[in-house]
Amino acid sequence: MLCEKCRIREANIKYTEVIGGVKTEHNLCSQCARELDFGQYSAIIEGEFPLGKLLSSLLGLSSSAARPQRMEEVVCPNCKTTYEEFISNSRFGCADCYHVFDLLIGEKIKKLQESASHTGKQPRIRPVKPAAAVNKSGEMEFSVDEQISQLNRRLQEALRMENYEEAAVCRDRIRALKGERKENDEMV
Amino acid sequence: MTRWFEEVGNDTSNIVSSRVRLSRNWEEYKFPLKLEPQEARLMIGRLKTAFRDLPDRDGREFEYLDLEGMEELEKTALRERRLLNRTLTEKTTPGGIICSEDERVSLVLNADDHIRLQVMAPGLALKGCYEEADRLDDYMNEKISYAYNTKYGYLTSYPTNVGTALKASIVIHLPSLSASRRFQELISDMGRFGTTVRGVYGRGTENIGDLYEVFNQKTLGVSEQEILELVTNVACQLSEQEKQVREASLEKNRLLREDEAYKSYGILKYARKLSMKEAMTFLSHLRAGIADGLLEPKEFISIYSLMIGIQPANLQRLSKKPLGKDELDVARSRYIREHLPELK
Repeated sequence: MLCEKCRIREANIKYTEVIGGVKTEHNLCSQCARELDFGQYSAIIEGEFPLGKLLSSLLGLSSSAARPQRMEEVVCPNCKTTYEEFISNSRFGCADCYHVFDLLIGEKIKKLQESASHTGKQPRIRPVKPAAAVNKSGEMEFSVDEQISQLNRRLQEALRMENYEEAAVCRDRIRALKGERKENDEMV
Repeated sequence: MTRWFEEVGNDTSNIVSSRVRLSRNWEEYKFPLKLEPQEARLMIGRLKTAFRDLPDRDGREFEYLDLEGMEELEKTALRERRLLNRTLTEKTTPGGIICSEDERVSLVLNADDHIRLQVMAPGLALKGCYEEADRLDDYMNEKISYAYNTKYGYLTSYPTNVGTALKASIVIHLPSLSASRRFQELISDMGRFGTTVRGVYGRGTENIGDLYEVFNQKTLGVSEQEILELVTNVACQLSEQEKQVREASLEKNRLLREDEAYKSYGILKYARKLSMKEAMTFLSHLRAGIADGLLEPKEFISIYSLMIGIQPANLQRLSKKPLGKDELDVARSRYIREHLPELK
């Protein structure tokens, strides 16, 4: 079939438009298709990151009005990536995001990758702690180890910036947490 | 030192080159998107120090190139040699690349992920590439602890890479198959197997040089071996179909094919001005002609390395000055004249 716009090249993109319940089909060649504005789908036609951008489109499909307000409020405490931000650029800000947003995007990842869990190679040196998780009431929970390592990072940063007040606060929190961890261990 | 794509003897098969990429992130740092430039520079410095004994372990020399502040032209030249992709070329945040002297192995630091390990080789060599990448991955893992969890595997910036974080790809030369009317249908069909096929040069459906790249779409829930086999199978299938179309064309239109190959050689050998499209088209015909035994050069050449050599940034680097469109076309024809061997 020839492209309906230029009538020169072979049509290789079938574009179905549904406006107000009326369905119209268009057969275009990719050159003509590129000249039209497909918004978030343009990336597919351009041939750039088809899969990466597709995720944005998939997630973005449920319009912001339809999404529950709570989802939008989820923010990764480590890197401050918001759910909105993730939807708009399909990228996570840190490893913790996978825990933080797991409940929200697990299904979508499964759909996209057609699988929900890893089966390949495992690293020989494994990080020891699950860093954080969303509990049932939607709040963030960090393991004690993770809290300590986050505080350590803050401490280092504070020392570098010569912010000794902040450093002292971190140091005291680390001490307290280490004490807590020791108690827990003894109880076990 | 010959670069991997200059290696001779890879012109009789339709399979041009193989590549694997592994994305890895260091557990201690946020992903590059959220890493402050200062932190990023610190991390790059630590990675460089950690990998400093790489040459001893590997046996090859390695070079470090700082991408921050590197000239646009240099970056584009790296992209032409497939060491960087388009997004990395346009990136302005801190980054670096550790690259082996033959450019077969490269580690891009702080790009989409903290480390993107890439191994390339001429011909059908996906397994070999992965074995090398796997060894290097273990080596890196001795130095740094990866962001990993049991559910999602290796954690990456893009959830589309999570799991094995392995992208395997094969470049194939399909001059006859791509001319057939059903080709677009055929390559979109490949999506059903979980692979994507796309043109290497040219944008959209316009392809110049008839080189196509096959790579895996999924990275989660499939093992590394399955990915390698899938991509190899699809590439071999396409290559086999190409072979059949070419054999048929030799039987039916031998004179036409001979004429096409010799004409292309003649133009490449004597032209004084060649646009990118012209050069790539004639090189593609020539490659097909050599592969089918229609003409025989006195010494074997890698047409693929010519295709890389005539890209604009490389030509401008060789001329040591920026070139306008006409000057580029002149430089391109000169480059080809100088590298094209005599015929037997």
